[in-house]
This record gives sequence, structure tokens and C-alpha cells, in this order.
Amino acid sequence: MSDWIRRIVAPSAIVIAAGAVPCYATTYLTIAQAQKLCFPEATQFVSADVKLNREQMKSIEKDSGVRVRLDAQKVWRVLAGDKSLGWFIQDEVLGKHEFIQWVLALNADGSVKQIEILDYRETYGYEIRNEKWRAQFHGKQHGAKLKLDDDIKNISGATLSCRHITDGVKRLLSLYELMLKR
Amino acid sequence: MNSCSSVEVRRCRPLLGTFVEIIATGESEEQAGDAVAKAYAAVARVQALMSFYEPESDVTRLNRLAVDRTIEINPWTYEVLKAAARMHKDSAGIFDISIAGCLQQWGYLPGPRGRAVAKRSIGGQSIALLPDNRVRLLQPVQIDLGGIAKGFAVDKAVEQLEGGGIASGLVNAGGDLRVFGPREFTVHVRHPAAPSRLLPLVRLSNAALATSAAYFSRKKWNGHWVTPLVNPLRTRSRAGSASVSVQAPTCLVADALTKVAVVLGQNSARILRAHSAAGFILKGTGEVLATEGVSLSDPARGTELCHKPFERTHPRIYR
Repeated sequence: MSDWIRRIVAPSAIVIAAGAVPCYATTYLTIAQAQKLCFPEATQFVSADVKLNREQMKSIEKDSGVRVRLDAQKVWRVLAGDKSLGWFIQDEVLGKHEFIQWVLALNADGSVKQIEILDYRETYGYEIRNEKWRAQFHGKQHGAKLKLDDDIKNISGATLSCRHITDGVKRLLSLYELMLKR
Repeated sequence: MNSCSSVEVRRCRPLLGTFVEIIATGESEEQAGDAVAKAYAAVARVQALMSFYEPESDVTRLNRLAVDRTIEINPWTYEVLKAAARMHKDSAGIFDISIAGCLQQWGYLPGPRGRAVAKRSIGGQSIALLPDNRVRLLQPVQIDLGGIAKGFAVDKAVEQLEGGGIASGLVNAGGDLRVFGPREFTVHVRHPAAPSRLLPLVRLSNAALATSAAYFSRKKWNGHWVTPLVNPLRTRSRAGSASVSVQAPTCLVADALTKVAVVLGQNSARILRAHSAAGFILKGTGEVLATEGVSLSDPARGTELCHKPFERTHPRIYR
């Protein structure tokens, strides 16, 4: 006698709509929310965006062992009155099927304070490689409050690696050493 | 409880080599935020203690230990080793934390630190659990807690959330998840033949769910396919195309049991029952085989169901 009940749910023969919509997307925080979360005592976030030339990009690549995809980085100096609390850096990473926007909070000494994911999206279509497609999600992080999407999906599946973020941390620490450290 | 003033907080951080998501419903943004921060601290602590990659973790210290030497480890690590030993015994050796040697050979884990690697696992007699959180190494094995530590971390995170006054919530560490409180959550499972397809299969309330599958980790080694899901009794990997999910009261048990269920397949029904757990196998064909105790919801919205009659082996009928 079998303890198992058989049931058909979704035959693999069903045609998957080729890249029409991302299969999964969640926004967790806006930039403003993430800033407040990482540095609750901060009084000011001063824009200190970084632009990298080829040489600097190569230097960061060599130092971190991680490829540098973008020549610009959104950075804020974090202050509590006159005191420097550290740095707040916004970044994005591209996996094979994942597009993740995230932030790295550094203490004043350059050590990692906190990491938060702002936006996670997954698709098996070709949009991930398309800069224009990615750009439509940049605006989502602005604004004071997020409208929570009722459609959040809780997924149980084989483990997805976060190594793109871990590599991103390495890359940004090298960027800090080269461009931000005083 | 006044549900009108409740606030839901959702966060995601990279930890344990994956993404750890927390959903918490609390009385205020501040209360929820505090509890979530404590929950992440607990997860980070598990990572520091049990990661194979951290140079100062208990796992690394154990893997560097000489045979017959004894060290004191953190009570949390001790608790996990104890649970692993129990699971090893219950599963007649199928659950085995000393398969790291095998995983190192196949490139899933980095190489040994100062000691020759034993490829074949030696099993439950390799570590003696002594009083006062001390452990003695009996055989030259390499251990990896990857098959159980995520589940433990999720349980610890839930503990922090509940302790912080969170009424209901969810902790999801890369697919190993646990929900608590009065709310029922719908959990999606990836279709193993098309992992971008998410099937809203399971309804979960005050329980944990873990899933093992090879669709992200399959790779070629020496000309054949391997996965990190190893059958320790044969030192062979299970490269099947199905995904196996286990529902249990705690995430530690769910996590550990998926490793056993992947090897045993339908023969895992007995050990699942013995742990108050239930399971389901989702095949590449879209077929689901489930034991009693899993609440499977209809994933039909938008997808076609194959109208194939199923075996009625149980009084309850799944539509």
C-alpha cells in the first residue's frame, strides 16, 4: 500500500511565454528607507558619487578579482552632525537570470556595517542583458514609502547562490580603498 | 491583538551563501525592525559558527583537528551536531555530515585545510559528543553542515522574531523556510524541468518547508554529471530531475530530511512520519507525489492541468 498520493499539476509541455514578463520580482526597500535602516542616527546623507576612468576600473578589478561593469557608482557620505558615520553605496549586480539592486553600508573605518537588498528580480528571458529593460526599475527605489505588493511569492526551491553580492562587496571595498578612503 | 495597527516588514539580506528573506508583522515599524535585526543577527551568528568557508568557524576548527583531540565548541554548533548524529542514526547513515571529502573532490567545496581528505564518509562514529559542549574527533573526516545549518538558522531567526513580539511571519533562507503565527502562507515551488516556473503548490501554517533539487547545482566532473546531493552509502550523487520537499515542525528537521528523501524517494514515507513530517516529490513531468499531511493547493490559475486519473490510495481526494 502506498503512502503517496499522485497528482498532476503542470506538465512541462506547457509552453513558457518566452521572456515576456519577469518570473519573480520583489522590492524590499527604497533608497531612503535603506539609508535610515543602515544609519538610524544619521542626520545627513551627502551625495559623493564616483566616476571611474579605465585605469581606476582596471585597478579595482585587479585588487578585488571581480569584474567592474559600470564606470559610475552612487555613493553618499553619512554624517551625524559633523561626525562621519561612514558610507552608503548603491550598487546593482547581474547574474545569469537575476538582477539585484542592493546597498552596502560601511563604517567610518571602511569595514562593512550592513548589506540590504533593495530589489530582486529574476527572469529567464533575455531582458537581463538589456540595459533599457533594467533601467525601468531604477525609479522604483525613489520615494519615501513603498506600496507593498500583495503578490509577493515565497519560494521553496534549490538554493540560489548570493555570490554575485559577495563579489560585489569585494569590488566595492576595493573601490572604497581607491576612491573614498581619506 | 489589534490587527488594524499592524505593520508588515519585508527584508532580504545575503547570508549563508544565499538570500535570507524575513517577513514580520508587528505592532510598529520600530518593533518589527528591531526584531528583524535580531533575527538577522542570529542568522549571522550561525554563519560565523558553522560555515565551511569561515576560517574561525567551529566547523573549520573541527576540520583542522587532529584525531583523538578534543575541542570545546559553541552550544549552537553542539546542538546541530547532536541533531545531525540523531538524523544519521534515524536514516541508517543516509544523512551524513562527513561527506565534505566527496564535495571537495567534485569542486563544491574548497580544498582541505591541512589534513588529507577522506573521500568516503565514515559516518556517525567520526565525532564523539562529550559533556560541556566538547567534541572529540575519532576519525579523519571533513564535516560540512550545509545540509542542516540553514534550517537551524531559520529556527533561530524565528525564535528571535517571536521573542520580539512578532505576531506572524516567515523566514526563508534560500528556499528553506518556516512560517509562524495565525497566518497561512502560500509557498511556491519551482518546476524542476523549468525552474523559472513557480507553482503555488503549498499552503503552510506554523510549519517549515525545505526543498532539495539539482537544477541549479548540477555540473560535469570527469565526464559525468554530479550534484552536491550525495548518497553517502555509495558516494554517488543523485542527479535526478525531480525536486523533493519536506514539511516538518522545525526547519532543521525539514532541511535534514530533504537530504534523506532525495536518496530514498518514495521509500522515505516512514522516516518522514517518524519525524512528524510530510513530503512531496515534484517530477519533471509535473507530476506530484505527496504523503499525507501536506496541504497542496491548486496551482491551476492560468495553467492547464493534465486530466490524468490518479491512484486513490487515501480517503482524501485531491482535486
